[in-house]
Amino acid sequence: MDAVISVQSLTKVFGSREVLHGVDLTVRAGSVYGVIGPNGSGKTTTMRCLLDIIRPTSGQVRVLGQDPRQGGPALRRRIGYLPGELFLAGRVTGRQLLARYEDISGPVEPGRIGELAERLGLDLDRHARKLSKGNRQKLGLVQAFMHQPDVLLLDEPTSGLDPLVQQEFHSMVHEASINGQTIFLSSHVLSEIQQTADTGAILRDGRIIAEQSMEALRTSAVRRVRLGASKITAGDAVARLLAVPGLGQVEAVASDGGVTLTATLEGAVQPLVRALGSLELTDLVIEEPDLEQSVLALYSEHQADPT
Amino acid sequence: MIRLPLFRRALGDSWRSTLAWGLGLAAAAFLYLPLYPSLGGSTQMQDLISSLPAEMTKALNYDQIATGPGYTQATLFGLIGFLLMAIASVAWGAAAVGADEESGQLELTLAHGVRRVQVVFERSLAMTLRIVLLSLVLLTLVLALNGPAQLGIAPSHAVGAATLFAGLALVSGSAALCAGAISGRRSVGLAAGGAVAVLSYVSNAVGRQSPDLAWLLDVSPYTWAYANSPLANGANWAAVGWLWGISGALVAVAAIALEQRDVGV
Repeated sequence: MDAVISVQSLTKVFGSREVLHGVDLTVRAGSVYGVIGPNGSGKTTTMRCLLDIIRPTSGQVRVLGQDPRQGGPALRRRIGYLPGELFLAGRVTGRQLLARYEDISGPVEPGRIGELAERLGLDLDRHARKLSKGNRQKLGLVQAFMHQPDVLLLDEPTSGLDPLVQQEFHSMVHEASINGQTIFLSSHVLSEIQQTADTGAILRDGRIIAEQSMEALRTSAVRRVRLGASKITAGDAVARLLAVPGLGQVEAVASDGGVTLTATLEGAVQPLVRALGSLELTDLVIEEPDLEQSVLALYSEHQADPT
Repeated sequence: MIRLPLFRRALGDSWRSTLAWGLGLAAAAFLYLPLYPSLGGSTQMQDLISSLPAEMTKALNYDQIATGPGYTQATLFGLIGFLLMAIASVAWGAAAVGADEESGQLELTLAHGVRRVQVVFERSLAMTLRIVLLSLVLLTLVLALNGPAQLGIAPSHAVGAATLFAGLALVSGSAALCAGAISGRRSVGLAAGGAVAVLSYVSNAVGRQSPDLAWLLDVSPYTWAYANSPLANGANWAAVGWLWGISGALVAVAAIALEQRDVGV
């Protein structure tokens, strides 16, 4: 499959401050690529480079095979963009505002705007500046999705949205991806990326420090394990489980005639299940992996790295 | 087909303020012009003006206030109308790019299918059209009150003076737009446009005081426009060319500057 977005060794210097120190990433057609990173890590700057709002200091950027600088308006008509901080003009209704953006973006199918507004629960007849943060965000989403662009660049798309609307947004992203549209989104909240993206990348201090498919991130993720077993001492139980690769933070508490044990498991589940076969289990809980924890682990590894 | 979406949008956003400035100009015209027969043309007024220090009458352009064209020039075109138009055009010029970028809206506009040069040109076209409209309002009022207020202005001279009036506003408006486009800041645009308007007026007023300071007149757009009393003698068309030409050049500089730089940082 073709790379719809490709960024190589992208750097950006503002004055004396280097904001991006060589970002490399590739987004394939029809995929959902999520960038996670704290505020100020360079997510917005990267997106702005893809739109030719900001010009790279060095490195190569291609969107749909074109340099954004050369691609000009024709290329940007094929992109839908939701800025991280959305400012909308005053004295017009949402409908009028969208009509203005429709004038300068790709063709919008009749009825498309109404349909999107209904899905998100947005009243188009209210004045744009009287809208709450969440409703402005919905207007921004409609604006990004309405012309069914080949590429969607969404900077912090769910900020201000309530959970039900977030769900609707996730299904919009899913549908767009099935349609063959390519989605590049950013968030400082991992759970959002976790729910929508196929691939997650962690951007920190202007550099991609990890990039993995969500599937791989899930397998490398840390799970919490809690079990109860009878007819065994705490010491024996711990001894048997220590052989399991990836198991750590084992704590065992003896309870009458048995033991209650908690631990963390990193990596595959199978070896643990095999080891558990020799125990008389009274209880077993293996929790969903907490990607937040594995990402934090990646962060701290990176920080420990002296380079 | 030329659609000019940004031009239409800019006009749609500003019709209220255009109307308000138009009403302001109309109020000024209705306030000043009907007073001419009893004020500017009266002998008492003439005596009063003569008794004032010559420096003051020169600075205020009141030296020809005894004639209808001189009175209209001194009060409306040269003072209150100039002031209103300078404020309006500087505000529009600073809003066109600088304020739009500062508020964060320019980023989203540029993320769509438009060129930066197009943004600058369409918005300066919208500003120009508004200035021309207001100048037409002023021209219409002057022509309408010409007879009743016994001003005795030749209609062709009024047209020439209104063209200069528009050109003068356009220079300060374009300066504001240009500075806003270079800096991305509304305040810088306002400062630059305001400085052009104020310095233009002040250097005219000061330059007329003594031959030693006459060089100030050469650099004052206000002097270029009004030195030969256009309402009495017809427009200096070379001055029209300069004012409109400089405005065009400022817009071109704005377009080039915006094209070169990062937006919204």
